[in-house]
Amino acid sequence: MQTFTGLVSVLLVFLWLGGNLVSPLRPICDLRVLDHFVREARDSEVIMRGCRGGCGAMKSYFVPLTSVDFAVLEHMDVNGQAVEVQTGLSLLDQALNNAMKTVSNSPLANALDNNISNIHSLGQILHSLDLQQARSTVLPDDSAPASTQTQEVSSLPELLQVQSSFLRGKVRLLLSAAPACQRQNS
Amino acid sequence: MTKMSDRLKIVFMLCVAFVTTGGQHFESKVAQLLQDETEDIKCFVELKDLTCFWEEEEERNDLQYTFTYSYENKNKMACVVSSLSLLASNKTVFFCKLPKTPFFTTLDVQVFRDGRMLYSRSLNAENYLFLDPPRNLTVLSSGKEGQLNVSWLPPLLKYMDDSMIYEVRYAVEGSNMGKVEVIKVSTMLVLLGLQSDTRYKVWVRVKPDGVAYKGYWSAWTEPVLGVTQPSDLDPLIMVLVLFIGLILCLLSMTVILSHHKFLLKKLWPDIPTPEHKFPGLFTVYKGDFKEWMSQNNSSMWGRSVQVYTEELPSPLEVLSEVSLTSHGTSQREERKPVEEDEEKESERSDSGLTDRWREPPQAHWLMEQLRALQENPQSLSQSLLVQSHDTYVTLNQNSQGDGEREVDDVFEETLPLQTLFTTTGTTSLSTSHSDLGSLQQSSGSGRLSSQSSFEYPNQTWPPKGPGYTYMAVADSGVSMDYSPMSSSRITELGRHRMYTNDYKNEIFLHKWPLFGEHNKSGSESCMGPVW
Repeated sequence: MQTFTGLVSVLLVFLWLGGNLVSPLRPICDLRVLDHFVREARDSEVIMRGCRGGCGAMKSYFVPLTSVDFAVLEHMDVNGQAVEVQTGLSLLDQALNNAMKTVSNSPLANALDNNISNIHSLGQILHSLDLQQARSTVLPDDSAPASTQTQEVSSLPELLQVQSSFLRGKVRLLLSAAPACQRQNS
Repeated sequence: MTKMSDRLKIVFMLCVAFVTTGGQHFESKVAQLLQDETEDIKCFVELKDLTCFWEEEEERNDLQYTFTYSYENKNKMACVVSSLSLLASNKTVFFCKLPKTPFFTTLDVQVFRDGRMLYSRSLNAENYLFLDPPRNLTVLSSGKEGQLNVSWLPPLLKYMDDSMIYEVRYAVEGSNMGKVEVIKVSTMLVLLGLQSDTRYKVWVRVKPDGVAYKGYWSAWTEPVLGVTQPSDLDPLIMVLVLFIGLILCLLSMTVILSHHKFLLKKLWPDIPTPEHKFPGLFTVYKGDFKEWMSQNNSSMWGRSVQVYTEELPSPLEVLSEVSLTSHGTSQREERKPVEEDEEKESERSDSGLTDRWREPPQAHWLMEQLRALQENPQSLSQSLLVQSHDTYVTLNQNSQGDGEREVDDVFEETLPLQTLFTTTGTTSLSTSHSDLGSLQQSSGSGRLSSQSSFEYPNQTWPPKGPGYTYMAVADSGVSMDYSPMSSSRITELGRHRMYTNDYKNEIFLHKWPLFGEHNKSGSESCMGPVW
């Protein structure tokens, strides 16, 4: 009995140490991961175009702005970009979850589910790059007024298009400009 | 002042050059899209600026075009419309270059002509990239045969270096058949499987890979020539190889010629022929053995005796008890008929015999002698052997008839006789006895009896049974004395043939050269004739 308690205590110590002394995540700098998410977002658009029935109700969604001005981008710092990306990803996550409630078409529902998990993975990637500066601010509901950083779309196809544009543009540019990856390359 | 004016001129020239080159690129792109693009309003992005253009249908100068665009639910913005005359196709296009083109968002473009909407289009700018061709294309020969190293630089574009895909085209100079290799992201390529010592032309073009950015294929670069390495077979090496091969051939030839006899024997061995043993058989008599035998009768006989001295059994010659003096004349008298019989016997025995053995003619002679002895028993003592050189055989009185029958009977009855002989001589005799038996059987017409006995004057030999004529017997290597046989025994023989031998016989001296030698020696040791 004494040996058993001793072993348990040793195990507990190790677990505590392991929890505290966990090594930081290795930065994920390979953009092919993001490209994979972009392709799956595009697949959702294709499925949406071919969807006949049960393809979601007409509903307005608040989505982030996707436009990129390279001139402006060069002058913007990485942290600002990171905040913008984080906010946008959370908005997209919310919108997609709302859309899935109205979708009965199974292929489309699967695709949307895939996109949601991809967005969560992107959050992890940003965390690995130490870019998760600001925690995602959950908007209370759809009826809230649109901020300057958001836009409103009225249908699921538009939502999917916004998602695709956002991933290809802002998210990608942020990841390619991440300091953690720049240090690796240099 | 002059310096300033010069500098201004230089700057102006550079600007013009830049614009013209840029214009060339722009013009070529416009021209290309004019052919390829099916949309009414064609748009492309060059250096992050979106350009939309449309073709002028009618040559009218007073038309007023208005170009507006909007994105992300913002207000419409206007763009200045310009015109361009294409020299190649002699066409005029109107175009508008959007300043600060927003990417990754949907652009709504509209063209108005005299207040009426002409064209309208919604597009994402990042999907219509029209890149410039790659820069600094170089083609170098790699160290290996049939390979070329191709390298280039991507077009000047920020943020897009990892999203580009290249296409390399190569063909033999002067030929139209080209091959294409596609390569992603990397800006160098090794061409494999090329012909050696050949001039190749290489082109490269670029396009966005289609994941984050999309667009059109760029124009081909200017062709760059490259030469592949010549083949490895150096003429010097070929000459050396030939030279060494020649030397090796000469060496092998000399070796073969010096040992050609040996090699020939090994490869093509001679078939052995017995010709050396039979002189003249194949050459003179052409294989006719009978004729050859008849010609080489005597010489062959002597030779065979010499050759098979140790192999064949010795013939036994019978000594009679008749006295030498009275017998001598009778011996000579009977020589002739014996000789006649010999010839007859030899003729009969020739058939079926091998060359190596003949029934000895003296066998028949011996038989005749014994017959004579039988008729004239007194002459038996004459034939006593003082200097005997042969092995002597006694006849069994029970033996009857000719040939094998006699022999068989003799065999049965003489077997107990062998126990009498205890000396070494006897053993040899018994062997010769059995040999004689075999001799008899092989001949088929043997007349010799196989019975034999020894009598040693110095030893006591009890006479074992009736009907046995004891005779002095000699064998090879054995010296012994001979005592005359009892005449009473001889008379009992009756009709049986008895063999007598005059050891001083000239015939034997002639036919048995061995005996002659011993005769001359005068010793009592005898060497039996060995077959």
